[in-house]
Amino acid sequence: MLDLRGVTVPGRQRPRLHALSLQLKPGERVALLGPSGSGKSTLLAVANGLITPPQGRVLWFGEPASRRPQLRRRQQARIGTLWQDLRLVDELSVQQNLNAGCLARWSWGQVLLNLFSAQDSQACRLALARVELDHGLLMQPLDRLSGGQRQRVAIARLLRQDAQLLLADEPLAQLDPPLARRLLQLLLELGQAPRALLLSLHRPDLLEGFDRVIGLRCGELLFDQAPASLTSADLQQLYSTQGQP
Amino acid sequence: MTPAGQMLLPVLVLLPLLWLLPQSIHSGGLDLLLQFWLAALQPSLDPQVLLSALRGLGITLAIALWSWLLSLLLGCAGGLLSSGLVSQLLWGCQWPAAVIKRLLALPRSLHELLWGLILLQLLGLQSSVAVLAIALPYGALVARVTADQLDALPVRPLEALSSAGAPAWSALFTALLPPLWPQLLSYGGYRLECALRSATLLGIFGLGGIGADLRLSLQSLQFHQVWTSLWCLALVMLLLERVVRWLQQRWQHPLASVGQRGRELVALLLCLGVLLIPSAQLLELSWQQIGTRWQWPQALPLWDIAGWNQPWLPLISTTLLLTLLSALLALAITPWLLVLLCPWKGCRPLLQSLGLLARLLPPPLTALLMLFVLKPGLLPAVLALGLHNAGILGRLLLESLDARDCRASQALQLAGAGPRRSLLVAGFNAVARGYLSFGAYRADVILRESVVVGLVGAGGLGVLLLESLSSFAWIDVVPVLVVYAVLTLMGEAAADAYRRRLLQGHLPLEGFKPAIGP
Repeated sequence: MLDLRGVTVPGRQRPRLHALSLQLKPGERVALLGPSGSGKSTLLAVANGLITPPQGRVLWFGEPASRRPQLRRRQQARIGTLWQDLRLVDELSVQQNLNAGCLARWSWGQVLLNLFSAQDSQACRLALARVELDHGLLMQPLDRLSGGQRQRVAIARLLRQDAQLLLADEPLAQLDPPLARRLLQLLLELGQAPRALLLSLHRPDLLEGFDRVIGLRCGELLFDQAPASLTSADLQQLYSTQGQP
Repeated sequence: MTPAGQMLLPVLVLLPLLWLLPQSIHSGGLDLLLQFWLAALQPSLDPQVLLSALRGLGITLAIALWSWLLSLLLGCAGGLLSSGLVSQLLWGCQWPAAVIKRLLALPRSLHELLWGLILLQLLGLQSSVAVLAIALPYGALVARVTADQLDALPVRPLEALSSAGAPAWSALFTALLPPLWPQLLSYGGYRLECALRSATLLGIFGLGGIGADLRLSLQSLQFHQVWTSLWCLALVMLLLERVVRWLQQRWQHPLASVGQRGRELVALLLCLGVLLIPSAQLLELSWQQIGTRWQWPQALPLWDIAGWNQPWLPLISTTLLLTLLSALLALAITPWLLVLLCPWKGCRPLLQSLGLLARLLPPPLTALLMLFVLKPGLLPAVLALGLHNAGILGRLLLESLDARDCRASQALQLAGAGPRRSLLVAGFNAVARGYLSFGAYRADVILRESVVVGLVGAGGLGVLLLESLSSFAWIDVVPVLVVYAVLTLMGEAAADAYRRRLLQGHLPLEGFKPAIGP
């Protein structure tokens, strides 16, 4: 689904990513570990096309990432990102935010209508139900929701987008432990085949259910293995301050 | 110096004004002035006068409505095209936006009255002249504000939608229109009020509507008739200000559910659409007329060297002096009146009515009134411009004082500080940045407006331009136009720089939102 080959992204002092290669197959759920500033967010930004790396190749669903805008958009429509800051539109209702996931396949008329009235209520209800939110929230303005509810709305937007490759940038960072576990469970369920999930996190205790875990340090791949075989020595090496800027 | 101190300092402008007073005062028209104010209580109710005033008001309103709508359309399109963000999204580079932005500076560098006179020469006397004269500079202003606000919006939601494959325009509308909407609404409402004032002003210079009635009845000293028109205009202006404010509050309030807001908007647009047809008929607007009447002035000596031979230094310095004094006067009046009167209960209603009166009387009319007791010259012009703009600034000051967080004042008052001191320390400091930044913008407007008080002999560039335009002295028009435009653009840049410095790290106040941009 995602194939990065020798990707390098230059930074100010040292490369943000250095000759990084990574493959993700359908049904694979991969955790991305690494200290702050190790390049996790950059890796996800390369994966969703926000950053085009000057060196290396990015393949989406077996095809090279296109430079032609229309084709590139069609490729990107199959990649859904759960941003760390969610990036929802605060001024819109829950339903309008969910429908923002459909922009890639919607006509102009639908886009404009979505700003004035309720579109595709049934599909939005289903998406909300999938993330365990009450459909009574559909017409609520987004700014009245709690942090946890907003996060679920952002996930439901990925479902409306019908994304195949799910990327999540530290989605558990600001949640209390029980909520974090439930949300992670939800993401792991969504990441089952035919989809795939690449999720960055700071919590080595939450690796259960992932198929692979990747360690990133100073923009380079430190390990890529099954979570069961991860040792405390690996983690120590990953988070040690030695050799860090 | 504290922001509140900066707010009170402009009162020093009274010194030069008081110095000018003895040499320009005369008592010749004192009784006329008295008659004028007494007539306010007895407006003429003669059906013919009333009918004429209402017809004039209808035309002014129609001009305001059409020019406002046209300016919004032009402005939104121009704003999108001159926004760096949109340009980046559509074409992958920002220079087209920068070029368009520069080009749009030209129409807004000239006051609507100058546009009116230029278009009058090109199109002949017809109502579309007034509509276009307001719509062109306003459109360019709206474009600038829209572009600035667009470029200041958070781009992350937009990034998220684009990287999920959304086409550029769809992503733009979904991610940026909702946060832009309340700002546009707020600014659009403010522009409608401005359009009404401008339409009245153009009438005074013969472009139709209630302004023409006002000037004719004032010049023939029919004060009772003047007040018939003024009361009608006041009623409409007050109503418009209230409705605009109500709509702004209703649609900005988070309680209004999103879908309902959309339906209300569609209803409002339908109402506007229905209003447009009779107002077009009233104005006898037609594209055909614009096309057939178009004529380029014969043998334009555009680049004749003789036109450049003007006493530039006194012209420019008079214009700048007039602007500076008027702007300072406009800034000083309301804060000082507030400080002096605030312990008194009737302070608020008194200031509100005085403000309405000041906004109601177009500056050239006030200047003419001043001539009853002042000799023609700089002083009546400064007073006319200063008072009118004080009315506009004062309204925003009162509104933002109401909208501010009152806890600091409360704490001071509970600790025994009187209303004056708590207003000075807590109230003024909370709103001063917003007030001063709007004042800077108004100064920029006054520089353009200086042309409208030319008829009382204030001198300056605008007046020369006005005279050469109305006497078909084309040889002078182009050089003065160029210098005038350069001066106003420089003024705009200076006001912008001051505002940016003032607001650095501070959010503009709620009540000043419409005024973030011009």
